[in-house]
Amino acid sequence: MASTSEGRHEERIIRPLVGLRPGLVAGSLITGALVALLLYSWGYQVRNDIGVTGLNRPVFWGFYITNFVFWIGISHAGTLISAILRVTAAEWRRPITRCAEAITVFALAIGALFPLIHLGRVWNFYYMLPLPNSRGLWPNFRSPLMWDMVAINAYLLGSVLYLLLPLLPDMAILRDRALVEKPGTLKALFFRTIALGWRGTPQQWHSLEKGIGVMAVVIIPVAISVHTIVSWDFAMTLTPMWHSTIFGPYFVVGAIYSGIAVLMVAMFLLRSGLRLEGYLDNRVFNNLGLLLVTMTLLWSYFTYAEHLTLWYGDQASEIAVFNERVWGRFASLFWTMIVLNAIIPLAVLPFRWGRRPAWTAAVGLCILIGMWLERYLIVVGSLSVPRLDFTVGYYQPTWVEWGIFAGSFGLFGFLYFVFLQLAPIVSIWEVREGEHHADEPLTSGQPSLRPASEES
Amino acid sequence: MANVTHAVFASGRQVREALGLLAQGGVGPEDIEVRSSIPLDEESLGPAGQRLRSRVPLMAVLGGAIGGLAAYLLVALTSRAYPLVTGGMPIVPLMSTAIIVFEGAAMGCILLTVATVLFECRLPRLTWRPGPFDAELAAGKIVVAVRGKPSPDWTTGALATSSPGAGVPSPGEGGERTPNGRD
Repeated sequence: MASTSEGRHEERIIRPLVGLRPGLVAGSLITGALVALLLYSWGYQVRNDIGVTGLNRPVFWGFYITNFVFWIGISHAGTLISAILRVTAAEWRRPITRCAEAITVFALAIGALFPLIHLGRVWNFYYMLPLPNSRGLWPNFRSPLMWDMVAINAYLLGSVLYLLLPLLPDMAILRDRALVEKPGTLKALFFRTIALGWRGTPQQWHSLEKGIGVMAVVIIPVAISVHTIVSWDFAMTLTPMWHSTIFGPYFVVGAIYSGIAVLMVAMFLLRSGLRLEGYLDNRVFNNLGLLLVTMTLLWSYFTYAEHLTLWYGDQASEIAVFNERVWGRFASLFWTMIVLNAIIPLAVLPFRWGRRPAWTAAVGLCILIGMWLERYLIVVGSLSVPRLDFTVGYYQPTWVEWGIFAGSFGLFGFLYFVFLQLAPIVSIWEVREGEHHADEPLTSGQPSLRPASEES
Repeated sequence: MANVTHAVFASGRQVREALGLLAQGGVGPEDIEVRSSIPLDEESLGPAGQRLRSRVPLMAVLGGAIGGLAAYLLVALTSRAYPLVTGGMPIVPLMSTAIIVFEGAAMGCILLTVATVLFECRLPRLTWRPGPFDAELAAGKIVVAVRGKPSPDWTTGALATSSPGAGVPSPGEGGERTPNGRD
């Protein structure tokens, strides 16, 4: 089990949880300032109503819905990827599952915030709850917006529990350490409370593993359903370049694509900031890089298929949107998206040098920008081509929308910084289990999961 | 004080050997409790490992069925409670209702899975108190507790042992049940 050198690696996971780390505090403050910007911008909108945004005829869905789709896509980083890797028993998943699952929970919560912001009168949110309103009306379950509401809540519930369940043994480890090293502190009390009295008996492990296994299987279709349903918000309308049967899988592929990209960036920052090279080693980046190449090809295929069908059909309303996107007003954004999402990844990631941590993180960042542009083009691009005469003007986001947009990234960072100080970002017990299998191959077919530095 | 001896081991292999010696000495699995910071496989646990049972998969299926039924009833009953004019279209259409039923089934499955895990693990354990060798457990060692007075051979490979009864919370004192390997 944990040898001295492995113990040193573990200390790097535990270090952010002990005392105040200047880097984490600084990060929390900077991102906290962006959260303040979000709150101020949203408060300004609530006070002055939705007219302070650039939304107007014909573009009624703008930045908020773009960000909603973007963040829901980002949320596919964790639970889905973690669940797939768990179900397929990929040993290299162990150091990345917690990091990925935390991304899912925070991104999903932020994504779910945007429809509320977009509502304008956010206090009317309860109309979406299964409660009769003042006229005795119940929510309309035939509406894709209600499907969204139900699916996102199911995914959020599942993701939170999927994050917390495997956290129990780690919290017990931290509790036992804290009770010896720093008894009576607030952190010790926190670990003790969250550990729920976990003891690590065989029956507890058996039930936990069964539970995680079942949840991993259940969460995969839920994750896929969430982004499919998000796509149906668009596809159920008759708007040009939205009303498409390919939108479900296209959105799911895009979500997984951006999810892996954000995971790359987050892992690189964690590796550099917390010196977790022993866990988030080159092999992890290499494997995720290969996965990203596959997703790049899939995304490119779907994008090509989507645009080819529309171009070939040459229907007046569709081709007008197509031309604006590819050759017209949105061409610069469209071709930037193609470069960022297809050309750069395919120019870098197929090569071994391109799958080193810094390169994969840089490509991940490009993909994130590209995927945001894709969502912007889908949301704003289609609506910007009017089909009726009475248009007010082109959509231009205001400072309120930019503030909320920037603030959402701040909120994500802030939540992540707080999480880093409350829970181990690498699952201690899962990594130990991998090392145990490497030391004692009691069951055949379990490859080594020693940190790379140990192997060398 | 309960007559319990604790021993700390560094690896699953040593635990397997210790459990083998205990079995040879006539100590039953119900008198042995193994605690670890990682899941040990059945081979390491010997007879105690074969006794492990879980109803999580069954309860997950049951939760899915309950969740799906509840979602259907929610859609069907609320839609009929105030039937909107749908121009001849069904008030509870199969296609869109299936989406809500699916999500409801998933939620039911997840909730009952987690509830079953907590129930089987006897969590939350509000009366939890620190036990012997918790720090060693946190450091990755494996702690074996044996009730009774077995031959001391079984602790041969141990890093540390406790005297029988010394410092060990008896059942009821620290919320601990008898060390029977099943918690």
